Amino acid sequence: MELQFRQVTKSFGDLSVIKQFDTLIETGEIVALVGPSGCGKSTLLHMVAGLQSASTGTLTADGKPVSKPSPERTLVFQEHALYPWMTLIENVALALEFQDQPKQTAQEEARKWLARVKLSGFEEYYPHQVSGGMRQRCALARAFIARPQVLLLDEPFGALDALTRMTLQSVLKDLIEAERPTVVLVTHDVDEALYLADRVLVFSNRPATVLKEITLGHIPKTHDLSAFADIRRDVLNLLGIDTETTSPSVEKGETV
Amino acid sequence: MSTNQSTGVASKRAYLVAIAVILFFWQVAAWFLPDFLMPDVPAAFVRLWEEFNSPTFWEGLGNSMTRLGAGYGSAILLGTVVGLVGGTLDAVRSTLKAAIIILQSIPSIAWVPLFLILMGFGNLPIIVVVAIGAFFPTALSVMNATESVEKVHISAARVMGASRLQMLKRVYFPAVTPELITGAQLAFGNAWRALISAEMIVGFSAGLGKSLAYSGEIADMTGVMTNILVIAVLAAVIDQVILERIKHRLLRYQYL
Repeated sequence: MELQFRQVTKSFGDLSVIKQFDTLIETGEIVALVGPSGCGKSTLLHMVAGLQSASTGTLTADGKPVSKPSPERTLVFQEHALYPWMTLIENVALALEFQDQPKQTAQEEARKWLARVKLSGFEEYYPHQVSGGMRQRCALARAFIARPQVLLLDEPFGALDALTRMTLQSVLKDLIEAERPTVVLVTHDVDEALYLADRVLVFSNRPATVLKEITLGHIPKTHDLSAFADIRRDVLNLLGIDTETTSPSVEKGETV
Repeated sequence: MSTNQSTGVASKRAYLVAIAVILFFWQVAAWFLPDFLMPDVPAAFVRLWEEFNSPTFWEGLGNSMTRLGAGYGSAILLGTVVGLVGGTLDAVRSTLKAAIIILQSIPSIAWVPLFLILMGFGNLPIIVVVAIGAFFPTALSVMNATESVEKVHISAARVMGASRLQMLKRVYFPAVTPELITGAQLAFGNAWRALISAEMIVGFSAGLGKSLAYSGEIADMTGVMTNILVIAVLAAVIDQVILERIKHRLLRYQYL
């Protein structure tokens, strides 16, 4: 599914959040939106999901304006989005039950998807009984089970420790490669963006404008991102991280 | 699980001690007062045993429980529906809440004369008064809980394509169940008070309240104390055994 943003702006009252955002995301493309927190990248993602609408400008999916949520454009949240009163398998099956699939079929499918994210044996556990990493695996299964054409990820691994995060990134990468949805990923983590995305959009502070667009292309990547050191440095600099001097940035008069 | 069990045992022990203390004070009062004013504890238990063997007692108990079941049951059902629907409709929410708070402050027994004349002498006015007593705390708890359902739980259901009805059944209802149960336990106290007092006033056919009022009229203090004993024990059993058991069953996921 192709996503086209045309002159999209968003403001809440006087607060301008997004300013004239234009981009075309092609079918099957993996785009990462990187930027300082609170800059409005999540708002863009929620627009694609149909949870929020643009103040001006248009957003179309395969040429049709996006006006409301649809299971073909699904969103994975940072955390706590699993239902605590349901077991993992019930949580995953729910995505199909909401599309009026029979309970039996939904459960069988959910079992398969939990196996694909290596959660076999944990079907009957409740979310609070498993680790944060396992919860996000389950959240990925719940997103992929509906075979979305667009997968939206809002800081999906932001709450996880560094090692778990890298494992989950690999799980996600495998799933994306197998299912080939169009992916829009919002993240703070530059390495995550470089590892997963075909194209990275670096955003400024609010109101969000694109500072730089980096096309990596769909090339095989590993967690060893040393080949991307130049790009990584470039992105970090754009985000205001000093990669030149060894002294702490606080000494340069930055307010803490 | 083990901590819950141990607190369960501790509270059971606390109940036994409390019952012994209450019976002790009653017995002390009986030692100081003449028998026709305050009967001995054993005398009341002997009378209770006689009551157990009399069909009139069981008929009264049956009538009272039927009225309680009909009034309390319909109030919980209606309160849940009104609370859920009211809590999700922004247009009516604050008005409905204000109306409930106003009506809730009227003691349910105050409705008796009105309904007695409107509905005639019979079971119906008692059932309605019981229902009124139980409805408001239930509806209010459910409505407050509905307002504070986590946004991410609602958004997640929307992106999975849930219909409005599915949303109410699968997201809102389970999310508010803990507060519904707290509300229902509060409502039970109201319903029980409304039942006994309405039966004492209306005096239509046999019932616990009528039996208590009648014992008072003929100055049969053993009868009065026996009836109070039955009312107290029943309330404790319904609240602490039946409602608690339902709570543990419905909120199973929280106790794992």
